[in-house]
Amino acid sequence: MSTLFGALSIAVRSLYAQEGAIDTTSNNISNVDTPGYSRETPILSEAPPLDLGQISIGNGVDFNGVQSIRDNILELRIDQESQQQNQLTSYVNYMNQVQSLFNETQGSGLSDAINSFFNSFQQLADNPTDLPTRQAVISAGQDLASVFQQTGKQLTTIQQGADQEVVQTVQQINADTTQLADLNQQVSGLPPSSEQADMLEDNQYEVLNNLSQLVDVAVTHTGSGGLTVTTTNGTALVAGGQSFALSTETNASTGFQDVFSQGSDVTSTFTGGQLAGLLEARDQSIPSVTASVDNLAAGIINSVNTQSLKGYDLNADKGVDFFQPVVQPSPGSNAGAAENMAVAITDPSQVAASSVAGPQGEGDNANALALANIQNEAVVNGQTATDFYSDLVSTVGNDVSTATDEQESVGLVLTQLQNQRSNTSGVSLDEEASNLILYQRAYEAAAEVVSAVNSLTNDVIQTI
Amino acid sequence: MGIRINPNPWTDLLTGIALDQKQENQAIQELSTGKKVNQPSDDPEAVAGLIVNNAQTSRVNAYLSNISTTQGSLQEADSTLNTVVTALTQAISLGTEGANGTLNQTDRDSVAQEVNGIQQQILESANQSFEGNYLFAGTAVNTAPFVANSASSSGVSYVGNSGVNSVQIGDGQTVPANLPGNQLFTASGSDVFQALTDLSSALSSGSNIPAAESEVQNAFNYINAQRSFYGTTLDRLNSATSFLNQENTQLAQEQNNLVGADMATAATELSQADVALNAAMAAGGKISQTSLLNYLT
Repeated sequence: MSTLFGALSIAVRSLYAQEGAIDTTSNNISNVDTPGYSRETPILSEAPPLDLGQISIGNGVDFNGVQSIRDNILELRIDQESQQQNQLTSYVNYMNQVQSLFNETQGSGLSDAINSFFNSFQQLADNPTDLPTRQAVISAGQDLASVFQQTGKQLTTIQQGADQEVVQTVQQINADTTQLADLNQQVSGLPPSSEQADMLEDNQYEVLNNLSQLVDVAVTHTGSGGLTVTTTNGTALVAGGQSFALSTETNASTGFQDVFSQGSDVTSTFTGGQLAGLLEARDQSIPSVTASVDNLAAGIINSVNTQSLKGYDLNADKGVDFFQPVVQPSPGSNAGAAENMAVAITDPSQVAASSVAGPQGEGDNANALALANIQNEAVVNGQTATDFYSDLVSTVGNDVSTATDEQESVGLVLTQLQNQRSNTSGVSLDEEASNLILYQRAYEAAAEVVSAVNSLTNDVIQTI
Repeated sequence: MGIRINPNPWTDLLTGIALDQKQENQAIQELSTGKKVNQPSDDPEAVAGLIVNNAQTSRVNAYLSNISTTQGSLQEADSTLNTVVTALTQAISLGTEGANGTLNQTDRDSVAQEVNGIQQQILESANQSFEGNYLFAGTAVNTAPFVANSASSSGVSYVGNSGVNSVQIGDGQTVPANLPGNQLFTASGSDVFQALTDLSSALSSGSNIPAAESEVQNAFNYINAQRSFYGTTLDRLNSATSFLNQENTQLAQEQNNLVGADMATAATELSQADVALNAAMAAGGKISQTSLLNYLT
């Protein structure tokens, strides 16, 4: 049998429930701009009815906590795209610096120096015994050597920049994994769907999102709200409450930092995120450009030296090496050829313009012409210096252009996904306002019930 | 409840604005640099073409500079030979004059003196230099090629060489840039100095004057024939110059096709991007700053 006090307790229960709902709304409104926040809805359910024999009487409403509105699959997709985007962004960032070294449209690059160098031999052929003209050949050679040196050095500098960023990125990854392990630990002790657990879950996803910008991650949900995180190639990052820090160590042969996880070298295993982009630029793309520049330098040095040795100088002496010969660090490798390029002779009379031995041979210009025509001969990979260089520049340009296009399309996908997340999880103030009215009215009505019960109780008391 | 709409319209708007801005920047860069390709990634193939084009242009300019240097020395040599030929004509008249029976020995001696003077003048011409280089020394351009030598029957010896230098006037194309002095002045059978020495001796001795005169005539004919080398070569250089100038124009045209901006298109693109950007910004201004909350009192 129901009682007045039964009605009172139902009304009070409703007051509590509406308060909980208003709290939830208020929390949503407060977090309207909070990154990573997923809106919450109150979980209201009908309280178990009171069974009184044949009849059962409603027992009001229960507030059973809050629920975050989040699409976990969507979060995963966002993280994946975010990995790719950040990989491309850091890669493009460094390759843009590389391409600026070869920006022939703005007059920077090697081609002017190469052309001027070979033209100086044409001028020498016009006037082979003239000392100022001979000096001009040496100067053009020095200019060429210095442009090659600069290009080689700048490529190394760009590589070093990427290397430093690798170290910083590893530190950021470690900070994120530590934080995530910490959150895992905290969440494991809490009942699911508690306000506290929801908050921690939001934080977990926010950290995961940051981590995805840095490195490729694969996430497994363990029970009790914990997340296990590895890289896609299986390097452990976080397992429950434990995080596994990555470390960096200088590689003795390259001088750059290798990335280690629990004692093993995992440098080449990353497939996404900023770290993968940096490593791709540092370990693959830039070294390949450097090798091409070195091969080009070596090709020019070798051909010019070979031809110089065939000629005779102004003193009728046999020609000597024009450039310092290439010293190969290992067979077949021209590493360092560009950075070490230098003209070997200082005396302009030593330029081997003549191909006629003996007295009065010095006025001959045939060797100068042969040197000038090296410009049209294959010097590297069966190609002329110009063709090889233009291939190199177009390769770099293509690389940047492909990565930039990809970056843009991934960016669009990511925006799309983020919109989709907003559709699901974003806080709409209109929605919250209408909920607020709803809960407010319900609260007012419950308060009315309390007041009505109060008045009825009063009536009963006065009749006594 | 209906479909939930993204409560934050700014993300889409900002993406749109960023794209419009990128297009606008691109158009501005094209207009300000006059180039549609401003870095290799804009058009890698065009930049590769540009590098090859630059190398060709630079070679064409080197050939043009070779031609201009060579033209100078060839013209100088040709005009020097012109004075030599004139002097020889004069020597031939002196021979004819000396062969005239009405002259006495004193007169002939003075004619012989004139012939000696002509020989001296031709010797100077044969040692003519251009920009510090002796024109008729073969490739031994730093020493005067002809020296007076009393031990020689002609009174002159050649100390240059027979070297001929070539200059490049096109890819794989060269022309000889000089004619050695021994081929011009002291060729066997047509030695200019020998002929003049013989004429002078004949005049002094009063015998064999017509034979000596014909020897000079022979040398004159020979030098005139050799001289055609200069005319022919200068002609070749002239036609090479017009060819190279034409090539230069073509290369410049090609370069413009590769990387030059089409100003009209770029300007249109700029105004289109500007309109789009303004529209996006205006839309941003219209995004409602109010929510239902503003209407609840």
